[in-house]
Amino acid sequence: MTAFRIGPAAAALPSRGPALLRAALRRLAGAVAVLFGAATLAFTALRLIPGDPVSVLLGPSTTTSPEVRDEIRRQLGFDRPVLAQYLHFLGRLLHGDLGQSYQLQRPVADLVAEQLAPTLQLVAAAVLLALLVAIASAVASAGRPPALRALTGAWELVAVSTPSYWLGLVLLTVFSFHLRLFPVAGADGFGSLVLPAVTLALPLAGTLAQVLREGLEAALAQPFAVTVRARGRGRTALVLRHALRHAAVPLVTLTGWLTGSLLGGTVLVESVFGRPGVGALVLGAVNSRDVPVVIGVVLLSALAFVLISAAVDLLYTVLDPRLGNR
Amino acid sequence: MRIPRPGPARVLASAVAGVLLLAGCSGGSGTGSADGSKPVAGGTLTYAVDTEPVSWDPHVSTQDLTAELQRQVFDSLVSEDAGGKFHPWLATSWEVAPDLKSFTFHLRTDVKFHDGTPFDAAAVKANFDHIVAKETKSQYAANLLGSYTGTTVVDPATARVEFAQPSAPFLQAASTTYLGFYSPKALAADAAKLGQGGAVDVGTGPFKFVSYSKGQEAVFAKNADYNWAPGTAEHTGPAHLDKFVVRFLPDASVRVGALSSGQVQVVKAVPPQSVAGLQADSRLKLVSQAAPGGNYNLWLNGSLAPLNDQKVRQAIQRGIDLDLDVKTVQFGQFPRAWSPISATTPGYNKALEGSWPYDRALSDRLLDEAGWTGRDGDGYRTKDGKRLTLVWPQLTANATQQSRDILGQAFQADLKKIGVEVQRPALDVGAYSTLVYGGKANIVDLAWARFEPDVLWLFLNSASDPAKGGINATFLPDKQLDDWTNQARATLDAEQRGKLYKQVQSRAIDLATVIPVYTPYALTGLSSNVGGLSFDSDTWLNFYDAWRTP
Repeated sequence: MTAFRIGPAAAALPSRGPALLRAALRRLAGAVAVLFGAATLAFTALRLIPGDPVSVLLGPSTTTSPEVRDEIRRQLGFDRPVLAQYLHFLGRLLHGDLGQSYQLQRPVADLVAEQLAPTLQLVAAAVLLALLVAIASAVASAGRPPALRALTGAWELVAVSTPSYWLGLVLLTVFSFHLRLFPVAGADGFGSLVLPAVTLALPLAGTLAQVLREGLEAALAQPFAVTVRARGRGRTALVLRHALRHAAVPLVTLTGWLTGSLLGGTVLVESVFGRPGVGALVLGAVNSRDVPVVIGVVLLSALAFVLISAAVDLLYTVLDPRLGNR
Repeated sequence: MRIPRPGPARVLASAVAGVLLLAGCSGGSGTGSADGSKPVAGGTLTYAVDTEPVSWDPHVSTQDLTAELQRQVFDSLVSEDAGGKFHPWLATSWEVAPDLKSFTFHLRTDVKFHDGTPFDAAAVKANFDHIVAKETKSQYAANLLGSYTGTTVVDPATARVEFAQPSAPFLQAASTTYLGFYSPKALAADAAKLGQGGAVDVGTGPFKFVSYSKGQEAVFAKNADYNWAPGTAEHTGPAHLDKFVVRFLPDASVRVGALSSGQVQVVKAVPPQSVAGLQADSRLKLVSQAAPGGNYNLWLNGSLAPLNDQKVRQAIQRGIDLDLDVKTVQFGQFPRAWSPISATTPGYNKALEGSWPYDRALSDRLLDEAGWTGRDGDGYRTKDGKRLTLVWPQLTANATQQSRDILGQAFQADLKKIGVEVQRPALDVGAYSTLVYGGKANIVDLAWARFEPDVLWLFLNSASDPAKGGINATFLPDKQLDDWTNQARATLDAEQRGKLYKQVQSRAIDLATVIPVYTPYALTGLSSNVGGLSFDSDTWLNFYDAWRTP
């Protein structure tokens, strides 16, 4: 059989299996270390905040008797030394047990799983939409006359600097309260996803478009651009087939990072639109120092970052085969 | 065994006898049949609320919202009308022992829980025992049961609830959702899950709790077998609505927009600034009712310098222009308060109104007399080189509630004029609780709604020490306040109780340990196609009588 492709990538093929395994193992070990570190950091941070954990849990308006407070302290193990609490917590974690929420009387795993689905929907829809808008905006304006670039630059700047909370309210007022096209609240069905996804996507699209256009213009300035045009290809084909591939690496990095941070960072948008989600769950848990829930969400975020960075690395090698040989 | 009725209890018994006559016209200042339309059966009503219950278990939670929503699921022994009179509910009649240490309830025999279990005296005992068990970790209901010692099941239809101390406020407590009844089966099987909400919460109420999805909605469906409405209700039999859905919308403008666009029919906590716009819309209406019990008050810590000097406390009390500040910040929707309890609470002391007006000159004089005569570079008063500074912490989690942060800024500006510095550190719950309940803050702001003047015991009796789970933030033991609030617990004579509680209110103002600020109002917006919706005496909406026209 003849190789489809000539070059170092093809030559490296025979040794690829073990190398891949080694890389996967290295990545797995890294992932475990990241999760362990995140859990430990979250545990320590929550313990370092001053104040009696039982008082925090009960909140300021309560007539709870000292006997009941002691019972809570005993049940949740706050009466034991911090190190013992930490080891107990770690042991449980090793068995895959995230524990029970102090306040909501439910297993953390159930809570996170239940709140994760609507957040994932929202984040996926927002990131996809942001990418589409960003690519359209950057492709249309890269290397174009200054007037057009100024125009797209202006909308991007506005999109980046608009607070999503406010944007959500404006969109709601227009499209839900007045035009009545979309429902205001909840997470049931496509209709309720549109406005929150747009709210979240616009600022993202602004950032991504700026980065992408920068990359496109750098690529268009390279000698290969002239070669491609000399072969008779049009500008659109040049940008889409060649320059875009060059400019995509920073775009993918940034998109991965934004996706990860969105998982816990959608709380404002979720609260405006009355949507359930991980953000609202963790906000409530941090305020009442509901340790198992906070750690559950921290672990989830860490896992998401690990997975996303693995996916991004994989994408790098697809986009730019030269990166596969390092 | 029947306990002979004393005089006061007879007053109560006659109220019970008259209940059927009263039933048609009581039940708070609801919308009634505002459009003259008749109740319509069927349909779904959606109610948008501003917060979300942390725990759905009324035996555990202190949250008003838990009590309001779970009212649809859990019935009580008695119900109380806006005039403070008690009516039969799950109990058809009751007797109170002369020493007010035991209450005997005669129960309905036709009541069934949603799971088919009959309601009886054993269920009463199981529930009250569950509330006080420390494993339940009750944050409020156990406090409402006070010195509860146990319940005796006299026979299946008779329960005697016993206390170590005279417990006049118990009947009011027994009328609230906090002392409502779970099916004993649910208590036995799901004790650790009751706070989750949903189908595990099995009561006897007009609605069954179908499902709860956190952050989104709670769904309740009509209990078709319901035939034991309280004496304060406007109809009997099952609820008019088929379904009742609660949506959680924390943002006030979103709630109002959802109402005006017809996506929800009832919204809680309309912000005062939206009231005018809502009233101008013919498709909407606004119902409002003053919250009962503790107003939004500032409590001054009398155990800590400089407020351990009564003159300084009085100077602060008289040095804030409450009329102007409250009116401006609350858009005229919440009236300024003159007593630590609201005007709708039984035993309210009307004589206090206008008795301690804003008087900057008096405040200046009082501070001079207290020795705070120096002035520093910033214009604040000093004594022995120390600035007159008060620490009034704010809790970051709910600082903006009812614009209280802005109101606090207005107070700071007023007090600066008389040379007093007010510091407002923003704290999280842990730091806040340590400072405030440790008695290390000078001022604490606190509101506590309950349709019962016994809240004054919570605020002012020295046994309500924050170190012991109380909320007396004055930290100033006062024999008279202790005696009067204890005596009022030991009588059911409305006149005698009223007299004692009026003295308590006057004394608290005279001691200047409290600065009543305003009476919060429940401001509820509804679509004009909703009828029959009314507040109970706790300003919780009652959906049993509500209906919706298409």
